[in-house]
Amino acid sequence: MFHYIWSLINWYLRPFIKWVLRQTTHMCELQRICYGKPSGAPRTYAVEYSLRLSRNADIISLISYLDDIANQCAITIRSERGILEEAIRTVLITKKINPAAHPDFSKIFGKCVELIWGYRQLCVECEELRQIQYDSGNPVHEDLLLRLWDLLMPYDPLDARITKQWQGIGFQGDDPKTDFRGMGLLGLENLVYFAQEYPSAATHVLTHSMHPRYGYAFAIVGINLTSMALRLLKDGSAKTHIYNSSKTLPSLRAFHQFYCYLFYEFDGFWLESKPNNIMEFSSIQKKFEINIRMALANPSTVFRINLSVDNI
Amino acid sequence: MGLLTILKKLKRKEKEMRILMLGLDNAGKTTIVKRLIGDPIDTISPTLGFNIKTLDHNGYKLNVWDVGGQKSLRTYWRNYFESTDGLIWVVDSADRRRLEDCKEEMHKLLQEERLEGATLLIFANKQDLPGAVPTKDIATILDLESIKTHHWKIYKASAITAENLLEGINWITNDISKRIFYKN
Repeated sequence: MFHYIWSLINWYLRPFIKWVLRQTTHMCELQRICYGKPSGAPRTYAVEYSLRLSRNADIISLISYLDDIANQCAITIRSERGILEEAIRTVLITKKINPAAHPDFSKIFGKCVELIWGYRQLCVECEELRQIQYDSGNPVHEDLLLRLWDLLMPYDPLDARITKQWQGIGFQGDDPKTDFRGMGLLGLENLVYFAQEYPSAATHVLTHSMHPRYGYAFAIVGINLTSMALRLLKDGSAKTHIYNSSKTLPSLRAFHQFYCYLFYEFDGFWLESKPNNIMEFSSIQKKFEINIRMALANPSTVFRINLSVDNI
Repeated sequence: MGLLTILKKLKRKEKEMRILMLGLDNAGKTTIVKRLIGDPIDTISPTLGFNIKTLDHNGYKLNVWDVGGQKSLRTYWRNYFESTDGLIWVVDSADRRRLEDCKEEMHKLLQEERLEGATLLIFANKQDLPGAVPTKDIATILDLESIKTHHWKIYKASAITAENLLEGINWITNDISKRIFYKN
């Protein structure tokens, strides 16, 4: 009820407040945000909020144009410049901003647009990758899987493609392919990225997973964490981290790094919880997710994997 | 209608049943549960540990315990046996290679004292897949005819198409209720 009344007041009062502020500051709302809010998540959130609430027809059509190209994953390093310039030009014209008098605005605003729609595109990319089922007939998939083994167990070659050895790194059976059923290639690429880019962190975590008392299934936990990372990405919770950590267009790499952070932290959290056995996974995972969500609720949060154990 | 029948009916409304879902890994236990409660079924990761879901079905409250099936978890299955009214054994019909394994694990369970009397429902899952072994053959391979200690029934099923899932649940709840709520 309160929420309803508040949104009603907001709907009628917002334009009025904006008008008063515009008259007194001689700046539009977007300018006030870009100059007043600290860079990263706080500023990008505010710009996103302001744009989404806009009732100006040109802004509305700009937003739906940007949504469309993000949904088609058409923002690339090559096309990005043109898209940002188009967005900036539209805003400069509709808001009657003189670019000569406000040279910084274009730069700051463009950065926000890059993050907002880069994030949206990242959600689409990750979802597409998730939907690709692991296919044993596809040599690219097979190579990736075998690479995971080589990265994690360099001194212990596989006897065969289908072997019980896979259980050593925490797959359920003797052929990992079925374990990827829910997370598809995204789950596999996450694991390979972790093992490849943070070799000592991954080995460190893998060793913990083999602990006689507090051990767990490394790969399966990893796939469950892919599921968690994707959930946080798609419901928008991960925006804080992605907006704060991305220097350029958020890409799949940003998601992989977010995942690596989660995996590394989960490992520590698991050991600290001193579980009786693996059956406590669901409850510990839920607690871990609550902690991460609380951290992400703080707009200044940016996750960095603790590199004290790594050499890169 | 006598007073006793009314009382029985009222009591029945709040009847709870404890259902244990077991089976080898990748059999589709979580997918079946999610399908039954209407959750999306395309993003399911392998179950580590267990999930509990509550299902309201024909006036019964079913507490469904869905426990992970991977080999290293099977030693923990016994922690969940206590006061189980019904056991749902899920079979991946397309995994010919492990049907023997599946039979062994199931018969091991049936010897458990704490599962004595529990109704056994077998879902021959994944029947939508082209390579699926027919339900009749699965019944033979699992040697169901030899089971004399439990009420059992096998259903041809698919978590993807939802084929026979409700029919199976209907059967198991009816069988349990006949046994425990109307014993006298």
